[in-house]
Amino acid sequence: MGTKRRSVTYVLGQIGFWLLIVLIFIYLIFPFYWAISSALKTQAELIQTPATYLPQNPTLVNFRAVFQNDAFLRGLGNSVLVAGAVTLMSLLVGSFAGFALGKLRFRGRAPSLYVILAMTMFPQIAVLAGLYAVIRVLGMPALPSLVLSYMIFTTPFTVWVLTAFFKGLPVSLLQSAQVDGATTFQTFRKILLPLTAPALVTTGLLAFIQAWNEYLFALTFTSISPEARTVPVAMALFSGQIARQEPFGEIMAGAVVVTVPLIVLVLVFQNRIVAGLTAGAVKG
Amino acid sequence: MAVKTKARGPSALARGEERTALWLLLPAFLIIAIVAAYPLGRVLYSSMTNERFAAGTDIRGEFVGLQNYRQLLSLTLRAVPQRLDAEGRPVVEDGAPVYENPRLFLRRLDTQLRYDAVRTFDLFGNRYVLGASSSDFINAIWDTLVFTVSSVALETILGLIIALTLARKFVGRGIMRAAMLVPWAIITVVSARIWEWMLQSTRAGFFNTFLTDLGLIERPIAFFQTASLQVPAMVMIDVWKTTPFMALLLLAGLAVIPAELYEAAEVDGAGPIRRFFQITLPLLAPTLAVALIFRTLDALRVFDLFQVVYGESRYSMASYAYYQLIAARNVGMSAAASVVIFIVIFVFAILYIRALGVERDGD
Repeated sequence: MGTKRRSVTYVLGQIGFWLLIVLIFIYLIFPFYWAISSALKTQAELIQTPATYLPQNPTLVNFRAVFQNDAFLRGLGNSVLVAGAVTLMSLLVGSFAGFALGKLRFRGRAPSLYVILAMTMFPQIAVLAGLYAVIRVLGMPALPSLVLSYMIFTTPFTVWVLTAFFKGLPVSLLQSAQVDGATTFQTFRKILLPLTAPALVTTGLLAFIQAWNEYLFALTFTSISPEARTVPVAMALFSGQIARQEPFGEIMAGAVVVTVPLIVLVLVFQNRIVAGLTAGAVKG
Repeated sequence: MAVKTKARGPSALARGEERTALWLLLPAFLIIAIVAAYPLGRVLYSSMTNERFAAGTDIRGEFVGLQNYRQLLSLTLRAVPQRLDAEGRPVVEDGAPVYENPRLFLRRLDTQLRYDAVRTFDLFGNRYVLGASSSDFINAIWDTLVFTVSSVALETILGLIIALTLARKFVGRGIMRAAMLVPWAIITVVSARIWEWMLQSTRAGFFNTFLTDLGLIERPIAFFQTASLQVPAMVMIDVWKTTPFMALLLLAGLAVIPAELYEAAEVDGAGPIRRFFQITLPLLAPTLAVALIFRTLDALRVFDLFQVVYGESRYSMASYAYYQLIAARNVGMSAAASVVIFIVIFVFAILYIRALGVERDGD
């Protein structure tokens, strides 16, 4: 009797568990599925009520329109440029600072760390008007000004994670190189930096994604130069090629186009990304 | 600080190390100075001027003290007078007094600042109206706070459920973890547009079709056009987008709880609920605290969702500051709004750190 009741609760528990898993999975994936399925629908099917759960006559018209949309394509190009430059610069700056803070002894180390940690909490909106004024005064073109302004949120994070990583490398590496007569910087460049490659990939990816995602600065600083708009701005201000009203078919096609490469990237590097996201938040 | 043992070698070496360190830190601090410190100082100053962007040329504003803050934050609470008929007697309809239109009443007041009605309410047989000199901003603060509290609460609960579910070992766990990264990888603006489409006010939208198919509603709901549903709709989108982040953090926190604790508790006969409250929750608390801080501070500065979906029809704090800067070209007011946002976020951060006793030192 006892074992029987136990097996019944076990089976019920299993069913409940798998139901929960399926529910969670649908919740996470469904909006993206809806974007794909809408992107494959014809204009007539999109405005049809009630909406269809599956595209009746799948078509690539919306995707074709998106790839002929100059504003959208320029947005993609701009985003790749900006996010790429931001990633490289943050890694450069971050690995320098991370090495100094993680491995070198100097006065002012703790305060420096605190300043950088405080920066991670810094709301972008607080500097919007000031940064806009700086950029106007310098007469800086929109794209470089975006790269510079994105450093406000990528730098602290990159420095923080790389500091932790450098700290984890054995001190003996540094010491033996110094005994061999290498300068501190040589030790950093030739010996320690190659060892940080995994951390560089993680932080680089996260910096790239943050820059790819950014909207507030992008919208503000490209307000007078539409040719410099990045993907989020292009997506927000999307105007269609076919439809006269809000061209949701094309918007969804655009959504799929900008999301798929990122999802692929994220899935390939998922272990590293999860490790990077949770770094610092969890003490082992 | 593991390397604080002052086993200094030759002091020349130590001095060289110190010099290298300062050079290596220079770029990071230069960037912080250019993109954060100077602009922040400039914003503080601008917030006390009437600086504006005019076509092409900047008007370097004059110093106006705290005028912008007064304009942004002034509130007034007034009793609304009853409507009087031609003989000066209060009008009564169906036994209830009839009041004047609160908006027009506030407009008639002879005050220095013009007030707009934010809320009206009845108390002890009187009707009161809360007026604000910038009703849009006061509403934006309120909406942002409601948005933050509800979305962080929902994210935490959902994130906890997802994390606890996925903490078990099962076939397909890798797929689930990959699926969790999907909402996180979608650009916020893009997710706003996807949900905007799913929440269409006609049955061309997914939710109206689905809810009708389930028999839950009779006619389509206008999610974005109904004032009381506007903020909940934002919460819905934000929860979907950010719950995975919460769940990932909590999952990592769960992973470091030693399994022996659970085994011991099970041997002692503790049921799953007791195990959750006596082992999981206390040991997860530090991770939960950090996740809560991150998410709250993030939610308070919400911009993308509100700006994309509502534009200038309903603001978050940040989208209001943006609107003042770009559309109204009012640098002084935008800067003052930014400072207010900064203070609100700062207060939240302090409260959290006090309440949760979080310490995140550098080591």
